[in-house]
Amino acid sequence: MKHETIETNAGLLIILTLAVISIGGLVEIVPLFYISDTVEEVDGVRPYTPLEQRGRDIYIREGCYACHSQMIRPFRDEMLRYGHYSLAAESQYDHPFQWGSKRTGPDLARVGGKYSNEWQVQHLIDPQSVVPESIMPGYPWLAENDLRYSDIEARLRALRRVGVPYSLTDEEYEANVERFGEEVARWLDINRAEENLVAQAQSGNFDGDPSRITEMDALVAYLQVLGTMVDFTQYDEGYFVEFR
Amino acid sequence: MAQAATNASSHAGAAAVPSEQYNYEIVKKFAIMALVWGVLGMGVGTYIASQLAFPFLNFDIPQITFGRFRPVHTTLVIFGFGGNALFATSYYVVQRTCQTRLYGDSLATFTFWGWNLSIALGVITYMMGYTQGREYAEFVWPIDILITVTWVAYFWVFLQTLLRRSQPHIYVANWFYMSFILATAILHIFNNLQVPVSLFSLESYSLFSGVQDAMTQWWYGHNAVGFFLTAAFLGMMYYFVPKQAGRPIYSYRLSIVHFWALVFLYMWVGAHHLHWTALPDWVSTLAAAFSILLLLPSWGGMINGIMTLSGAWDKLRTDPIMLFLITALSFYGMSTFEGPMMSLKSVNALSHYTDWTVGHVHSGALGWVAMITFGSLYHLIPRLWNARLYSIRLVYVHFFLATIGIVLYITAMWVAGIGQGLMLRAFDEYGNLAYTFIESVVFLHRPYVVRALGGGLFLVGILIMSYNIFMTITAARREAARVEAKIAAKMAGMSS
Amino acid sequence: MLDLWYWIADMSNSKIVALLLFSTTFVGILVYVFTGKKRSERLESYRYIPFQDDEDEQPNREDENRS
Repeated sequence: MKHETIETNAGLLIILTLAVISIGGLVEIVPLFYISDTVEEVDGVRPYTPLEQRGRDIYIREGCYACHSQMIRPFRDEMLRYGHYSLAAESQYDHPFQWGSKRTGPDLARVGGKYSNEWQVQHLIDPQSVVPESIMPGYPWLAENDLRYSDIEARLRALRRVGVPYSLTDEEYEANVERFGEEVARWLDINRAEENLVAQAQSGNFDGDPSRITEMDALVAYLQVLGTMVDFTQYDEGYFVEFR
Repeated sequence: MAQAATNASSHAGAAAVPSEQYNYEIVKKFAIMALVWGVLGMGVGTYIASQLAFPFLNFDIPQITFGRFRPVHTTLVIFGFGGNALFATSYYVVQRTCQTRLYGDSLATFTFWGWNLSIALGVITYMMGYTQGREYAEFVWPIDILITVTWVAYFWVFLQTLLRRSQPHIYVANWFYMSFILATAILHIFNNLQVPVSLFSLESYSLFSGVQDAMTQWWYGHNAVGFFLTAAFLGMMYYFVPKQAGRPIYSYRLSIVHFWALVFLYMWVGAHHLHWTALPDWVSTLAAAFSILLLLPSWGGMINGIMTLSGAWDKLRTDPIMLFLITALSFYGMSTFEGPMMSLKSVNALSHYTDWTVGHVHSGALGWVAMITFGSLYHLIPRLWNARLYSIRLVYVHFFLATIGIVLYITAMWVAGIGQGLMLRAFDEYGNLAYTFIESVVFLHRPYVVRALGGGLFLVGILIMSYNIFMTITAARREAARVEAKIAAKMAGMSS
Repeated sequence: MLDLWYWIADMSNSKIVALLLFSTTFVGILVYVFTGKKRSERLESYRYIPFQDDEDEQPNREDENRS
């Protein structure tokens, strides 16, 4: 075949180009859905509670991923600075993933529990008041805005549709009890989503103002759960290496 | 250039001919919008660069905080400036190399409105806080659909024009444009698979999660660079460099080899954005290997472009447009060397997550994409309006401002990225971390100031260009009106 | 012969198979494109397509023939 045949035939040019550009993506992406080693089997990783999920929505809305990663690499300095390297399993319910690509600020994959709620609130409202050299913008409106959660059921339904095990039916609920235990299963019940959200915001009182549920409540609830789900003392270090 | 400009203006009398033979109206629209979005996008870019140096510039205003403004910048420059430049030049090149009029006037006009409406809506929604949270694919789902429809129309216009060509061969520039249209369609669709919260909600959740989502996103992300910002601009290069130089491309055979190698290899390399992450090692190793291989076709393109001038190097002394085009190719060569180097896992361990990546992107985006676009637009616009450029001297001024701006930008980011990378992995004699994170942030202040300055110079450059183009078009319109009035007067004289 | 097919179909050999496949294709394209004086001349003649539109002058073909 002459190259001229391709050059003089638009249809052939298109078909060949499509074939050539498809190979790379097919080889690298499709197996990730089928190779079981891609995501580790780890205890403790659960979908986010309704309040945490709303916090995650706000994290995405404000574009936090532009400056903060959520993916700790297996290096000594990162381990000392941030903690155990991130596992694939830890972001398996993240739609979309927020691994990030740039650390203008520190990694947040294991920020949960590192600072008090009060510190987080103060830092988000005025970062320079706690870290004078910080270049992070302030987010005072988070503490002022009431959290919008009337559509929380619709959100969890959408997430359920993309594969997150929030339960809608009794069977799904029972399956969750089996998989995550009864306490967690209750958090994941879509029928109780709104009630759960309000309950967690009130008992957690993340923003220090018990009278209202603000966007700050949700965001801090999300930050405080990041990286805390897996108990690494339970695992032998060699176990995770098998999946890398 | 002076000669080419006179050449174009000598046709002023026959202005009616090319506008009927070719659809120049649509090219004009896209070319102007490229400049409009370019000025806005680079303005926002300079602003967010300044925010990093002087954080008070966030002013606690939600709409303009860095997190929301950054996608505004990337969208305006990539899709606004770059996208409109690609529409303009692809519609021009496909007509000129096929020697046929663009297919479907109204469909082409639809692509103009569809594309530019998407960008306008996109940046407004980001500022309101609606985003998919996927880098370079932040558009919310309804805009994704609008883009898809626009893109299908674009494909159809381009294909039908190709099929109506009076030239038997499809010139190499059009292969690159076509591969860009096809690849962008595939990438856009698969990376934007989302389930909306409800039919009336702008928010949605991605179909994939975690590691698969990361891989899909960076397969998209890197090929947005590979096809949108590289293959398509190579198409631009394959037409405008030979035309401006007045000599054919160095080697047609090299272009065949490098076209197929480039479109094949690019799709493999996205995972080098995910080295050392939870992505399985085999994928990132494969991506690193293909990234190294990619150096060859990239440099094939660069050599083909630069060597076109072989034997006529003196043009660089007399023609500032040629300076833009050749400098663009040099930056292309430099960043396609830097890229494979950064995709080596050991280098990436240092460079990833730092400003080195940002610097690398900008040596490609400013050095290659923007410079080749400036050169092409300076070539294109006088021909579209049948006019001479208002000022050649201002083109020189633009060129030097842009080049100095890029050099400041890139060197500042090298210092920032390598410096921060080294600080964060430094240990003291007891084996503790030598620096806290915030100490590295303090170190970044000075490079950030220099970077903002470099970006500012680049912005001044495109402002000068816009002024130059504005004056060129105004003069052309005045001239056209004068000629028309003369003809009208003559006609009136004849009839009386 | 059958053994060869089994070897190719074995997924653990996929790297070598892919390497052979891609590199032979690549070398094939190189050989096709860069050998044969006539073919080279023919392919290089398409360089002039951008100059075949009416407005601009044609570059001089004589002094630019580097094949």
